[in-house]
Amino acid sequence: MTLLRGFLWLLGFQLLGQLIVELLSLPISHAMAGLLLLLAWLLVKGRLDESVATASQALIPLLAMLIMPGVVGIFFVIDEFAGHWLAVVVALAVGTGLSVLTTLWLMLRLMPRPDSGPSERDHSA
Amino acid sequence: MSALHASLLESPILAIALTLAAYLGGMALFERLGRPSWCPAVLIAAVVTAALLWLLDLDYAEYRRNAGWLTLLLGPATVALAVPLYQQRHHIRDLWRTILLCLPLAALLAAFYSVFLVWLLGAPPEIMASLAPKSVTAPIAIGIVEQIGGSLSLMLGGLLITGVLSTIFVALLARLMKITDPRILGFVLGVNGHAIGTIRAFEIGPTAGAFASLGMSLTGVFSALFLPLAWRLLGW
Repeated sequence: MTLLRGFLWLLGFQLLGQLIVELLSLPISHAMAGLLLLLAWLLVKGRLDESVATASQALIPLLAMLIMPGVVGIFFVIDEFAGHWLAVVVALAVGTGLSVLTTLWLMLRLMPRPDSGPSERDHSA
Repeated sequence: MSALHASLLESPILAIALTLAAYLGGMALFERLGRPSWCPAVLIAAVVTAALLWLLDLDYAEYRRNAGWLTLLLGPATVALAVPLYQQRHHIRDLWRTILLCLPLAALLAAFYSVFLVWLLGAPPEIMASLAPKSVTAPIAIGIVEQIGGSLSLMLGGLLITGVLSTIFVALLARLMKITDPRILGFVLGVNGHAIGTIRAFEIGPTAGAFASLGMSLTGVFSALFLPLAWRLLGW
């Protein structure tokens, strides 16, 4: 019952998100609006409801499975984007390399030194 | 025989059973292969699904429509992502200055570099829109392509490639730049490599993992607000 109650909360926030997105014609998805509203609600309340925690722990591990039917589509759009695959792969590879480089550099400049507390050993970075 | 085939084809139950079977089979295969970091489990599962569709002579569009009964859960599962973000709030409070300076720029550049490059190489707007959310965690990225009008499957393919490449580039560049701070490595993995980077970060250690989930969630939220707005302003 805890799970169901939590699931109902999540659905409620998604519906609330839908309501706000439609009323204000915001350019974000209903679920994203629901996420932000739930986050705001949790921050205002300052504690996490057990039912919401249970439902989120049940659903989040399913995300990879839930996106899979969409991933399968990649094998069926190969023809649709014929002629652009090289551009896509180059843009992804070079873009991701540049992006990782920039983020590492930014964080190195901006991250404060770790406190003297016990720090975690790092083996294989 | 063809009536039976047609009836099965129309059934959401077959599509759902197929999805679960392929996912579990793909996960088992992933374990058997020794959890290769260059090949995400979901990609193996997708190959298994495509093979099953081909064997059973099922139409992908039909399968996709019927599996929609299952993937409807993506909505509440996305809303549920507020919970881990809420649980990370002490990291945000401690490092808000760094995050405020770094995250919007990092998330913006993660999208910009590839969109700019693919535009330079002459790709149409649909492909640019499909690559824009490449560093965003999949459930949120799905919401973004719906807004900016890309191809869902191309986006997911780009997302997986980006995740894998991010783990490779972070390992390579961190060694070159002599970076060992697990907070930095985790955050960079999460910002660029979404869930795939986050899994890698948890292999480095719990601190890196926590910062990766933080970077992933914040990149998702920021991009979901920023990308549709940018697309609207640019009039694409």
